[in-house]
Amino acid sequence: MPLWYTSVIEEHLAVRNKAGIFDVSHMGRTILDGPDATNLVELLVPTSASSQAPGKSFYTLLLNPNGGIIDDLIIMRTERGYLLVVNAANKGKDMSHIRTLATDYDVNIRDVTDSTTMIAVQGPEAIQALQPLTSTDLSQIKRYTHVSAKVGDSRAMITRTGYTGEDGFEIILHDTGLQDDAIATAVWTDLSTRARPCGLGARDSLRVEAGLPLYGSDIDETTNPFEAELSWVVTKGKTGYIGSESLASFSSAPLSRLRRGIVLDDKIPRHGFIVTTGTNEIIGRITSGTFSPILKKGIAMAYVEPAHSKIGEAVRVVVRDSPAQGTITKTPFYDEKVFGWKRLKQ
Amino acid sequence: MKEHHNIPDGLHYTKEHEWARLQSGVVVVGITDYAARTLNDVVYLSLPSPGQDVKQLSTFGTVESTKAVSELYAPLSGKVTKVNSELTNHPELVNQSPYEDGWIIEITPSNLDQEKGKLLDSKQYAEFLASLDH
Repeated sequence: MPLWYTSVIEEHLAVRNKAGIFDVSHMGRTILDGPDATNLVELLVPTSASSQAPGKSFYTLLLNPNGGIIDDLIIMRTERGYLLVVNAANKGKDMSHIRTLATDYDVNIRDVTDSTTMIAVQGPEAIQALQPLTSTDLSQIKRYTHVSAKVGDSRAMITRTGYTGEDGFEIILHDTGLQDDAIATAVWTDLSTRARPCGLGARDSLRVEAGLPLYGSDIDETTNPFEAELSWVVTKGKTGYIGSESLASFSSAPLSRLRRGIVLDDKIPRHGFIVTTGTNEIIGRITSGTFSPILKKGIAMAYVEPAHSKIGEAVRVVVRDSPAQGTITKTPFYDEKVFGWKRLKQ
Repeated sequence: MKEHHNIPDGLHYTKEHEWARLQSGVVVVGITDYAARTLNDVVYLSLPSPGQDVKQLSTFGTVESTKAVSELYAPLSGKVTKVNSELTNHPELVNQSPYEDGWIIEITPSNLDQEKGKLLDSKQYAEFLASLDH
């Protein structure tokens, strides 16, 4: 995926207003099945797997014993087992983590990254963009669920998920991969007549605008799910997974920092910039920053001290030695009645 | 990848991809079409105020695109006499019209005759861009 095809802002706005497509084939895809598959997934993630019916797709985390985040991922529960979609850069360490824990379990683990293709179709017109390629009625697929279908000339899985804040689908084409990409190319070419091809630049600005963390920038093995505002993936009462004891101790102790959105009055915040109070007392650091094409302002995610994390709190961000005025803001940064999947009230 | 870049004749260029247009005692400065395309969407510029001095090939501000921050280098020494205030609300002018509406500052040069020779003409700048492709 290039940084951009034509313009980051035009691609970004296409996804917010119409539809865009992203070639996300680089993301890691692994099938996990066998008699003990559910037991292994229960060990791996803080989200209850057994309460997910086949057909559900869910966002969750791989944790280390200290409660730090090894990776964030989407898991699709199928009739036969699970399909895990992980960050490309983390595939190696995720797989060794999973395989180490799997030694005592009767499971099959198959990396299908290179033999499949993954395309994200995102935006309020995602259904119109994708529907001509499949006979499955896309309007019947609920958010965070998936179905098996035919897309173009390939067997596929269609999941109503994405990482832009918009409604949309991610499709995994089983019959076309790195070695044999003719079917994938035909699907992409057809989609691109109805949806705008988008690059990594728009993918990043869209996910920041939606308040979604990026592994390696906003979350890593030193951040825990509570300070990252991801505790909603932790199923209440669940025990026995890797990191569960650490999470239990975090939930009873005060947090030292919280992930928050910040909007600047002017200038563009970037990763690593310092956040201070109005009186220049250091309270945190930016982990992701970009220009928001919807707000037409610089926006950021930061970790700040809980005492200064209230929505509406005035802060400063040190932009190359000069302070810029900012405000702690709820995320998504955009008005959810106007943008994002919730506006559709499905 | 060979792309056609717009490099108007009659302007003077730096290897940092700024252009300078000499006209009746002042010099208008902007960034080239190549620079604008390479940056992609320009979203913010940090610029000097009128009256400030700038030095040839020293930084006088920054230009930010959605993904990166780049320094701006003065093609000539002198005093800033005008700043394009349209860019505050419409930084996209730098992409849409890098040589006209997207101009950045105007300088009254202090050492024009000596410094002009250090700049490239359109043919030399085109050759310089071609050398970057390798």
